[in-house]
Amino acid sequence: MRICRKLCSVILTLAAALILFMALQSEAAVTEVITFLTWKPNQPEVWEELIDDFHSRNPDIRVKIQVGPHSSTEYHAIVTQRLKNRDTSVDVFFMDVVWPAEFASAGWALDLSSFFDIHERVVFLKGPIDANTYKGGIYGVPCYVASGLLFYRRDLLEKYCLKPPETWDEMLAQGRKVLAGENDPGLRIYSGQFKQYEGLVCNMLEFVWSNGGEILNSASGHVNLTDNKVVDAVAFVRDRIIGSAAPLGVINYEEPESLDIFLQGKVIFHRNWPYAWAVSNNPQRSALSGKVGVGPLPAFKGNRTASTLGGWQFGISRWSNKKESAITFVRFMTSYDSQKKLALEAGLAPARQDVYRDDEVRQKMPHLADFLPAFQNARPRPVSPVYPMISQELQRFFSRGIVDPEADIHELAIRSAGSIKRFLRLGEALEP
Amino acid sequence: MRLKAQSFFLILLLPALGILLLFIALPISQSIWLSLHRVIIGLPGLGELFIGLSNYRELFQDPVARHSFWVTLFFVTVTTFFELLIGLFLALLINLRFPGRGALRACVLIPWAIPTVVAAQMWRFLFNDSYGLINYMLFGGNSTSYIPWLALPNTALAAIITADIWKTSSFAALLILAGLQIIPEELNQAAAVDGAGTWRRFKHITLPLIRPALLVALLFRTIDAFRVFDLAFVMTQGGPADGTNVLQLYGYRKLFVEGLMGYGSAISVVIFIIILFLAVLYVHLAGRRLMEARI
Repeated sequence: MRICRKLCSVILTLAAALILFMALQSEAAVTEVITFLTWKPNQPEVWEELIDDFHSRNPDIRVKIQVGPHSSTEYHAIVTQRLKNRDTSVDVFFMDVVWPAEFASAGWALDLSSFFDIHERVVFLKGPIDANTYKGGIYGVPCYVASGLLFYRRDLLEKYCLKPPETWDEMLAQGRKVLAGENDPGLRIYSGQFKQYEGLVCNMLEFVWSNGGEILNSASGHVNLTDNKVVDAVAFVRDRIIGSAAPLGVINYEEPESLDIFLQGKVIFHRNWPYAWAVSNNPQRSALSGKVGVGPLPAFKGNRTASTLGGWQFGISRWSNKKESAITFVRFMTSYDSQKKLALEAGLAPARQDVYRDDEVRQKMPHLADFLPAFQNARPRPVSPVYPMISQELQRFFSRGIVDPEADIHELAIRSAGSIKRFLRLGEALEP
Repeated sequence: MRLKAQSFFLILLLPALGILLLFIALPISQSIWLSLHRVIIGLPGLGELFIGLSNYRELFQDPVARHSFWVTLFFVTVTTFFELLIGLFLALLINLRFPGRGALRACVLIPWAIPTVVAAQMWRFLFNDSYGLINYMLFGGNSTSYIPWLALPNTALAAIITADIWKTSSFAALLILAGLQIIPEELNQAAAVDGAGTWRRFKHITLPLIRPALLVALLFRTIDAFRVFDLAFVMTQGGPADGTNVLQLYGYRKLFVEGLMGYGSAISVVIFIIILFLAVLYVHLAGRRLMEARI
């Protein structure tokens, strides 16, 4: 009797489980789940709202978010591992502006040419579109852009009747004038990101480019690292910036640390990405709210200002078997309304040019108009399938060049140029 | 009958052997196989080309790898020396009888129990050039003489060494304490009766008897120190100017950041061979010492 009752309850439980399972199955048949691989954004709630909105408009698609490491380099390692293994569980991935060439050449990113045609592309800023274009195909849809900007203490510059500097020498001279007047032993002139990581490449390229130099000629493929314009720019950073205009500690600074000393009022000029604007005007985080100015980075005399292009895009995995839904999702995330929401609520600079002309955006974010020229003129880091290797070598070259006052920068450049040429040849070995 | 029992024992050993093969032999041979090929994650079109020992040849000529090797060797020597010294001191201390010994023993183990990544993050803050506690302790409020520890290759390496010594001295202490506890109390008492002072008792009784424990601690610490990765990864990312670019970090970068599977594997295999050599050497030495200690 007891055994019989036990048996009955077991059968009942199994039946219930089966029904539940079938119910879930049938639900899975109507909704398609796509996986979006990304990193944790600074304002996750804005992204969640956007995705909720997407769900209500597309009831047949669910977006599952997978969060990777915050550092671009570590996140890259995760994404490449999964795409290399032809992992079908990734449908859409967030992609740094320097990756499309690699992802396209490796055959991991889907060519979006047929969904993202020329007429749609012209709406976006040219820099990010170029960065996503590889051998005629387009492999990503830009989400937001960034580029290096010069932030400065408007209050201090006004106090000494100074205009934002146009050349690096002018910036140093202005800094010395302010330092002499302020008589504050804790005050320095400049802070930026000089740790041995990806950000170092971005910072140093801005010095190199604004001295008329370049690392890699995109047309000829020639490596110009040993050019005097490159070597002189590195020497300038070593001799005139590190340890004199900027505290020696910047050698171990990424964005947050270098921004911190600016927000604490310890430096006059600061190089950072656009997000620093919102932070420095947030009274809860900054003592400088309303006292900060922003503009293009200085250049060397006789040369044009240059800033490194940053920003993130959506890519679609070639191994995804839910490409239709993935495209719908990417289209939604890069639509006018979504980009406007990301701009207004998360402070991200839109990749679409039309959003800059939006009345509400212009009214609530008047500084975006000042950023626009910098975004339009921002230059890409070397576009190459072997960029991760080039970047590691450049980080090594720049870090050694700026850290050791005795180092022969030209000698270091010869060595690094050799390595970079070897990597480029590897990439070329693929050419038919 | 005997034969049957023996084959039964062998069958019982099979699962363990299977696990060893699956989780140790297989990945190691996979790494060795990869190290003989040119495999690049970002360039799948290149395929997997067998290139013999080219990766190793390139590795031995790679100035960055050579630099990393010396940085790692320096790290291993300095940390192991200080960890054993401080570990010995700590072990002698917590082996004494005094009130609160149990609590102190637990305290000594705290640094070792903290995950390395957390400890590294803490040391990064301590060594910070503008708000770090270490600068404040040395220079007080006089921020103009603060030293940017992590911004110079030599001081950054010293910072990582300090963090490692802080973190793992207690592990050495634990091993040495185990050795101390097997020393019979009577030996020390008898020596004291014979008029031997503290130093002589330490030199002639304690030290020879804990030698096996010291060797085991040396073995573990050397091998562990060779595998240092997380401290450098969190505190400096290998910089500045490759000053803290330890071998494991260099290998990781080549493998996962640059995607050079073959070359990165060659670095791993070389680290593996160095550690294997050290392990065999130490076990050999320790084995002999253990025998002597018993006699």
